[in-house]
Amino acid sequence: MNSSPQASPSGSDRGAASDIAEHARPTTAESIISLRGVRKTYFRGKEPIHVLQDLDLEVPVGGYEALMGPSGSGKSTLLNLIAGLDRPSAGSLLVAGADLGAMSDSQLARWRANTIGFIFQAYNLMPVLTAVENVELPLLLTKLSASERKRRAQTALRIVGLEDRMHHYPRQLSGGQEQRVAIARAIVNDPQVLVADEPTGDLDRQSADEILTLLERMNRELHKTIIMVTHDPAAAERAHITRRLNKGQLI
Amino acid sequence: MRLSSLSVRNVWRNRLRALLTVLGIAVAIVAFVLLRTVLSAWTVGAEASAKDRLGTRNKVTFVVPLPKRYIETIRQVPGVVDASYASWFGGKDPRHENEFFASMAVETKTLFSVFDELVVPPADRERWLNNRKGALVGDVLAKKLGWKVGDTVTLQGSIYPGDWQFQIEGIYSSTRKVVDRSSFFFHWDYLNDSLPEGSPQRDRIGWVTTRIRDPLQAGAISQAIDRAFDEQEIQTLTMSERAMNLSFLGMVSAVLKAIDLVSLVILFIMMLILGNTIAMSTRERTREFGVMRAIGFLPHHIALAVLIEAIVIGGLGGGLGLVLSYPLVERGMGRFIEENMGSFFPYFRISEGTAVAALVLALLLGLSAGLLPAYRAARLNVIDSLRRAG
Ligand SMILES: Nc1ncnc2c1ncn2[C@@H]1O[C@H](COP(=O)(O)OP(=O)(O)O)[C@@H](O)[C@H]1O
Ligand SMILES: [Mg+2]
Repeated sequence: MNSSPQASPSGSDRGAASDIAEHARPTTAESIISLRGVRKTYFRGKEPIHVLQDLDLEVPVGGYEALMGPSGSGKSTLLNLIAGLDRPSAGSLLVAGADLGAMSDSQLARWRANTIGFIFQAYNLMPVLTAVENVELPLLLTKLSASERKRRAQTALRIVGLEDRMHHYPRQLSGGQEQRVAIARAIVNDPQVLVADEPTGDLDRQSADEILTLLERMNRELHKTIIMVTHDPAAAERAHITRRLNKGQLI
Repeated sequence: MRLSSLSVRNVWRNRLRALLTVLGIAVAIVAFVLLRTVLSAWTVGAEASAKDRLGTRNKVTFVVPLPKRYIETIRQVPGVVDASYASWFGGKDPRHENEFFASMAVETKTLFSVFDELVVPPADRERWLNNRKGALVGDVLAKKLGWKVGDTVTLQGSIYPGDWQFQIEGIYSSTRKVVDRSSFFFHWDYLNDSLPEGSPQRDRIGWVTTRIRDPLQAGAISQAIDRAFDEQEIQTLTMSERAMNLSFLGMVSAVLKAIDLVSLVILFIMMLILGNTIAMSTRERTREFGVMRAIGFLPHHIALAVLIEAIVIGGLGGGLGLVLSYPLVERGMGRFIEENMGSFFPYFRISEGTAVAALVLALLLGLSAGLLPAYRAARLNVIDSLRRAG
């Protein structure tokens, strides 16, 4: 099957980019994530739940930030907004040069494929695919040849130290190894931003430390900007900055 | 790796479920092939009938015979090479009460020139022609009832009551596959001469089969024959052998339509079952679809992945069903049917058209079963599916 090419900018994407330029406001050159007055309100029946309220956030290029806060404080909601998975009720988001509010759903999907790497608490690998195939999955959206896709997937696995587990299925790997495969999948497209929602939440101390070291390397050596939601103070300590979310606001 | 290989592997994710589903479709396809073959076998005899033969019968009904003298008139019609008459006897072997076979009183001297596909060893043929009580039986029938040349056989007549004795003098086979090799032919003269003087059945013939020189003239010659009896008390209806065989079929067309419908209903039910299975397995994978969407896959990718999965299951079921159909339908049932109901189904085989239709329908079944689950999977909300546990 010919999966459609998404990664390479098509004509319409360039159109979107010029739209973005119009909507852009002056930010400091180093800011890769810039949130202004972001609000997110859910409705449970008729009753509004104000999860995020007038939230501002600036993250510099190459930043590594931890996001902490009590359960239900809106950490995942904020992360999903930054990653372009969800839309705010109000406010604007400028991420990696794109005005997310001005983009259609499919433009957002393409943008995510190019710009964001996802790391989840539950790893979320495809159980029917081997490690290398899981890493290759995002590349199916590119125009790369099969051999080039495979080469890149193998490279990414080598970076996370799992080249010897290439053809193992997720069920044949430990939790820490699964999360390393997930990290390889997140970086295989060379995105600018990694979002990690409690990446060590399901891991023992030692595996968690390995993952944190790996994330540190992604930040330091590959210059990925990382936003990491965590409950673990040891994890937060590895980040450059720890932000706390409480009652819908950053403190 | 490709997106389609992800789908194919997801098919086998739950082995037992996949196996049962594929088997279910296979069984539905076997049923479809079987019923279709009944239909096509029923018409194949008619379709493959000789193009240079006409049949003439009573215009009003099959059941009322024609005066025997009509044969002479028919032989005079231009374009006619030869003609042979016959009467339906409808006899039964009391030692084989449940075996049905066609028994007919035929005009012996013209039988082989009109029905040139009959193959009989010359010595047998001579003996049969010379023995007024001789019978010529099909090889399939002889084998089934254990008859040999030289045996004496008694048939019970229904239209012509009483016990009728025959000697088996010959066994015929055929050069064409579609001829019934389970018929019982005997001398029309024997039948006629045995009827009491003044019986209304005397000097009557059931139908006349005519061989014509040019098949393209079939229409004109048919009309000429019928016109010859226009002024007579009993008028005739002449048509090609094919049309005549098909007019037999007309009587059972309601049954055939029902069979046709049943074969499609079975497939429809299987489609609903498959649809449910696909819906169930996609629902279990909601979170995986959410991950794919987060990574950047679009709704149509998800829909395509689900559809491919459904079509693969449909295709596997169709292929397996077809593979099972050949031994089941042709070797098992087919042989039984050809031997026991040869006069209705002389050639009970799966046609190419049926095989292709079965495969196409299995794929379509998969496709249509996948449509709704694919649509629903494509429309999932990304955030909600990622929050979903499991
Ligand atoms: N789709 C939704 N509908 C209604 N409420 C929601 C929805 N998603 C999240 N919430 C609510 O928003 C709040 C913040 O959720 P979340 O961002 O997941 O918190 P955290 O990740 O900090 O634990 C919670 O109270 C949650 O119940
Ligand atoms: Mg959360």
